[in-house]
Amino acid sequence: KDKSAASKDGTPEGASKRQEDGTETPKQQLLDIIGDMKVEVSYRKKLEQLKGRERKKQALKKLEGLDDESYVPQGTTEDTQRHKPLNPELVKAASAVASSLPRNKKETESELLAQLRRHEETTDKQKKGGTINIRNVISEMTVKRQTPAQRGARISSHISLQLDEDGQRTRPERSSAQSVASTRSLKVGKRLNIFTKASGEPEHALKTVSSPTIWDLEFAKEVAAVTAQPPRNGFEEMIQWTKEGILWEFPIDNEVGMEDDGEFHEHIFLDKHLEGFPKEGPIRHFMELVICGLSKNPYLTVKQKVEHIEWFQKYFEEKKELLQEI
Amino acid sequence: PCPRQVRSYYVDWRMLRDVKRRKMAYEYADERLRINAIRKNSILPRELQEVADKEIAALPRDSCPARIRNRCVITSRPRGVKRRWRLSRIVFRHFADHAQMSGVQRAMW
Repeated sequence: KDKSAASKDGTPEGASKRQEDGTETPKQQLLDIIGDMKVEVSYRKKLEQLKGRERKKQALKKLEGLDDESYVPQGTTEDTQRHKPLNPELVKAASAVASSLPRNKKETESELLAQLRRHEETTDKQKKGGTINIRNVISEMTVKRQTPAQRGARISSHISLQLDEDGQRTRPERSSAQSVASTRSLKVGKRLNIFTKASGEPEHALKTVSSPTIWDLEFAKEVAAVTAQPPRNGFEEMIQWTKEGILWEFPIDNEVGMEDDGEFHEHIFLDKHLEGFPKEGPIRHFMELVICGLSKNPYLTVKQKVEHIEWFQKYFEEKKELLQEI
Repeated sequence: PCPRQVRSYYVDWRMLRDVKRRKMAYEYADERLRINAIRKNSILPRELQEVADKEIAALPRDSCPARIRNRCVITSRPRGVKRRWRLSRIVFRHFADHAQMSGVQRAMW
């Protein structure tokens, strides 16, 4: 990665030497050319560089043999019309790489050349001591290849909702770009179509997941934890305690938490449940005692009392033959 | 992050068995109550009470509440356990001396 800044004049000579050398494969030529390129300072440029190198390396891996170096692409004329004429060696190398790729040759060609152009632009500016205008660079970037990655990153960032430590990596980049953009007017410049398409998809992806997601809940909890200030005085402390449930609510309600499962008459007058029993005899006597006891019991619910009586009913029905003998 | 010792197991097997007995006693509490109500009765005929006797004996042994022993919660000590705190006397003294028992003070009069 970190290579010394070599002069541009050195590269064509070196490249020409290597091209004359028949034993050296064009693959190695390309690698040399890439290796001699100047060092970019900012992180963003490094990213772009890495991307370009990765693409080129991928192309090189698929390389079997170069077809024609003499293939003059249509892009060169455009390049020459732009800022500076590109190094012809680099152009040839780019065309060779592009021609070897299975995909759309012209597209890759143009992209590679655009990358080269950008490198040269930035190195010129660094030479002159000019500031790097990110806006221009972004505007020149092609949209097709990058939006899937951006979309993926955005979806993942939406779902993960990174804050603080993680956010410091992703957020300031965007904020710096936005701050730069705010100095210029919004209507000027060609449309990038980043936000119109891409913003639609993450929302769809979110809606497929059940709302609220776990991450939303976690986010809400974090926000609540951060915004919760310690109580400034005794009143706020008491409010907090009341919310937690430590302190009762005043005026005191004696029946807080007590559910009214049945009226008093349901608790006391349990005679109607005694219909299944014989009207006379010891069993009836016994059951009336049971009912008397249950009616005085404040701890059981009506349902539990009814269950008790029903159990006795079942029990005595099972024992009916036994009772007949007696 | 927890300042105290984290106990994910019961202290010993006896404590575990005690826990099982408590659970069983809770499950069979109602039935035992009802059958005992039939048994401890002067109204119902004696045969019925004898049948009820046999029934209650047929229930699983661990469902009887008499088998529950109030062990110390921390050390599983079966003896010297104060009911209010569910702690054995040694543990109680330990916590009280370290001022970890609310409202407990050394007696002096």
